[in-house]
Amino acid sequence: MTTTQFPKRRGRSTLMAMALAITLGGTMLTTATMPSFAQQMTDVGTPRAETLIVDMLNARVGNPTNMNMYQQGVTINQGYHQMAGALLYDIDTAKGSQIPDLAAEMPVANADFTVFKVALRQGLTWSDGQPFSADDVVFTDQMIRNTPALSYSSAYAAQIASVTKVDANTVEITTTKPTPRLAIVLGSVIYGNPFHVVPKHVWEKEDPATFTNFPPVTISAYKYKDSDPNGTWFLWEKRQDWQNSDVGQIVGEPAAKYVLFRSYGTEERRVLAMAANDIDILTDISPESLDILRNQNPKIHAWFNDFPYANLDDPCERGMHFNTSKAPYDDAKTRWALALAINAEQASIATFSGMLRASPLAIPPTTVLMDTYHKPMAQWLAEFALEDGYKPFDPDYAVRLGERLRSEGVAGIPEDAEALRNLLGVGWWKHDPEEATKLLKAAGFTNDGGPWLKPDGTPFTINILAPADFEVESQRLAFAVANEWTQFGVPTQVQQMQAGAFFTAENTGDYEVGSYWGSSCAITPDLFVRMEGWHKDYVRDNGTPSSSNQARYVDDELSALIDKLRAIPADDPQIVPLGTDILKELVQGLPAIEMFGTSKFVPVNETYWTNYPSAENYYEGPWWWWSNFKFIAAKLKPAAQ
Amino acid sequence: MNLLRYIAGRLVVYVLVVIFALTVLFFVPRLGPTDPVEAMLAKVASQGAYMDAAQVDALRQSLADTFGLDGSLWDQYGAFIKRIVLTADFGPSLSMYPTPVMELIRNALPWTFGLLLSSTLIAWVLGNFVGLLSGWKPNSTSSRVMEGIAICLYPIPYYILALLLSILFSYIWKIFPLTTTIRGAPWSWELITSVVWNSFLPAMSIVIVVFGWWVISVKAQTTALKEEEFVRYARLKGLSDGRILSRYVLPNAILPQITFLALQIGLMFNGSLITEILFDYPGLGLLIYTAVLQGDFNLLMGTISLSVIAVATATMIIDLIYPLLDPRIRHR
Repeated sequence: MTTTQFPKRRGRSTLMAMALAITLGGTMLTTATMPSFAQQMTDVGTPRAETLIVDMLNARVGNPTNMNMYQQGVTINQGYHQMAGALLYDIDTAKGSQIPDLAAEMPVANADFTVFKVALRQGLTWSDGQPFSADDVVFTDQMIRNTPALSYSSAYAAQIASVTKVDANTVEITTTKPTPRLAIVLGSVIYGNPFHVVPKHVWEKEDPATFTNFPPVTISAYKYKDSDPNGTWFLWEKRQDWQNSDVGQIVGEPAAKYVLFRSYGTEERRVLAMAANDIDILTDISPESLDILRNQNPKIHAWFNDFPYANLDDPCERGMHFNTSKAPYDDAKTRWALALAINAEQASIATFSGMLRASPLAIPPTTVLMDTYHKPMAQWLAEFALEDGYKPFDPDYAVRLGERLRSEGVAGIPEDAEALRNLLGVGWWKHDPEEATKLLKAAGFTNDGGPWLKPDGTPFTINILAPADFEVESQRLAFAVANEWTQFGVPTQVQQMQAGAFFTAENTGDYEVGSYWGSSCAITPDLFVRMEGWHKDYVRDNGTPSSSNQARYVDDELSALIDKLRAIPADDPQIVPLGTDILKELVQGLPAIEMFGTSKFVPVNETYWTNYPSAENYYEGPWWWWSNFKFIAAKLKPAAQ
Repeated sequence: MNLLRYIAGRLVVYVLVVIFALTVLFFVPRLGPTDPVEAMLAKVASQGAYMDAAQVDALRQSLADTFGLDGSLWDQYGAFIKRIVLTADFGPSLSMYPTPVMELIRNALPWTFGLLLSSTLIAWVLGNFVGLLSGWKPNSTSSRVMEGIAICLYPIPYYILALLLSILFSYIWKIFPLTTTIRGAPWSWELITSVVWNSFLPAMSIVIVVFGWWVISVKAQTTALKEEEFVRYARLKGLSDGRILSRYVLPNAILPQITFLALQIGLMFNGSLITEILFDYPGLGLLIYTAVLQGDFNLLMGTISLSVIAVATATMIIDLIYPLLDPRIRHR
């Protein structure tokens, strides 16, 4: 816990990066002496050239012989979720819109959005050859509803009243209340969805509360082949009847005969494995590790070939979130003062060497959302003024940061101002300690040359709650902001917590300032999914766990706007205007200082496979751990031998 | 009679230590900042599941019921002690629900035992042998070389050493696997060689680090014993060096080493945390690590209780057999 040093993890990471870099120096022989593709086998006995090897999110699986996705605690991101399962609706992250997957088309609603006709994709079969039909969907509904031992049961029944069969390929779904976004309730927007249609002919003979679903009967293009009893690897094999799968119908035949999900453990080992061509796709690593990989192996690249390398389209952004029910953070003037006390350029460089896209809005600056909200709202942001008439927006943030990076010798920084704004963000708040001081004094703080005192006369110090073992960007950002606030004159420390303790503190309001994503996630122009979380109805007393609105932020006007958004479907023309109004309201109240989109360093290795999505080949985002990865995997091509 | 009183006293202390430890283990995680239900909910939310607040509240209650976290602390404590004493059941893992904790421990235990028992014994035998010779003939070239190696290896931070071994033997020279990849049918030759092959590098990293400590500690003992009067007497009697070393020095020098070895074996139930994390080795250390990160009360209690019981048992066994090894204690 310090305000002037990088977190331990970064120190260790940098040390390890240096050690790896030094030790690996001059070891290019390893790649130069590889045997021919055809001769190579993986250590699980499959031809390497026919096997796509993917890094397993969250490392090894503790209960590898349980794939019952309805049991809480059972992990399905060993490949079932990404390659073998399918949802009614999935997400096209490049377009920012949902697509039908097991469904043949998006749901057709009645006038008040309570009854839906859902046509199912025809010609699909399960991996054991049995046809997929409406009976499977109806059975899944009944199974979840009638098995209270499944944790999802009560939550599901609170939303879905019934599912009935219309014909072999159509079901009618009735909801318990008007639900304009049924596809969100039963399909993926971000990562996945708990509603998985199961094969009736298998599950009807089992108790779903205890059934292990291992090996699973699958619906997508791959089926279970083999795994390690210790959960370090899982092998999936392309079905011979891949034509009868969702992927077969939507994309075509996947080239990889096998997909191997495996855990290499620590980041250092994952980096070594990719440098040695033992793995094709990695999940998150640090920018320092990416640097090593790029220098070690020319076949490895990240989203961009040059600066900023990382993908900047993650659906959640990072910033400083306040518990607005606690003084002095219950006053917008305090929050605004703290925002203006931050030098965002400095914070960006301290966090990820400037490889971040800034966002002043409560949604991430993804390509789709930048075009829909950030850029169209730039004019409004420039004219926006605080109560005292001060205009806080700085549209030249990206231009200045670009110049600074260029002057420091960073290659690949655009010269053009618009290109810089596209890359680094439309702008952010000014760094203006003078105005910050004025706002703090207006909020009742005092400072007579010594430390700042709160309105109640006690010293003003800040404790930022930050992740300890996950979300490296949030960790580093917490330390960068702590440094900025300390320099401004408010002693700030960072308290890092493991995931379990962190989320307990966040949900129960046991924090004042937190470095994480809060409600600031979105991927489609329809902002309802996470914006709903700002509604005042979800505010709970501190100490009582809160399901949403962990900021405990009460804004009547904002809640009214959310209610309006709730009442319309995702394709309504009012979606974007209402979303814009919500974002304006959140800027005015500033319950969270939104700062940067999440930069994902997720490298790929083109030694064996090519046509990965990238900035130049943007057919999907690099979300290897989402349910839509199967569509990406099906588009990969074998590298020329 | 004295011996019986000695044994009874040790057994009472043993039972009290175990009950006290189990009680502390029950309460400490529950008084900590992690609520496993909130941790699980956050996991669900971060994975994109859309549920409105009412649905999440329903899920929260359902998870609390499922995990057995409803009711007062005392109710939970009573049920816990009853379960442990009567059935040795630590309940289901909360992070890998519904897999029973004992099943996870049962799966991990052979890996940890295989790795740590073999590496500890190898390091113990080698270290004591080299240390004994170094202490007995400190000026010989071979003693100096071996001691020099031990002194050089001992202070290397384990993390760096393990990483270095991986880079050298798994990346530059692809001799050993980068990560644990076990294959083969149960009890097949393929499985056995696969296990040995995969465990070699983790075991070597432990042997290298621990070896130095044994060398240094037993050398100090030997050097001191060499000057004792009973050794001088043996030398004056004209006994050979080998006989003096094996009959006079070794039995005295080895006593503290046996005590420490027993404690080391007891501590195996902790797993070797860093080794297992670094090599992605599926033992108890990784289980404990997972339990701490996920706020998995049951798994944490299961693994640490086992460790406490093992250390307490090892200490008790040493206390009971010490009189057989050391006549001074027998006659006290």
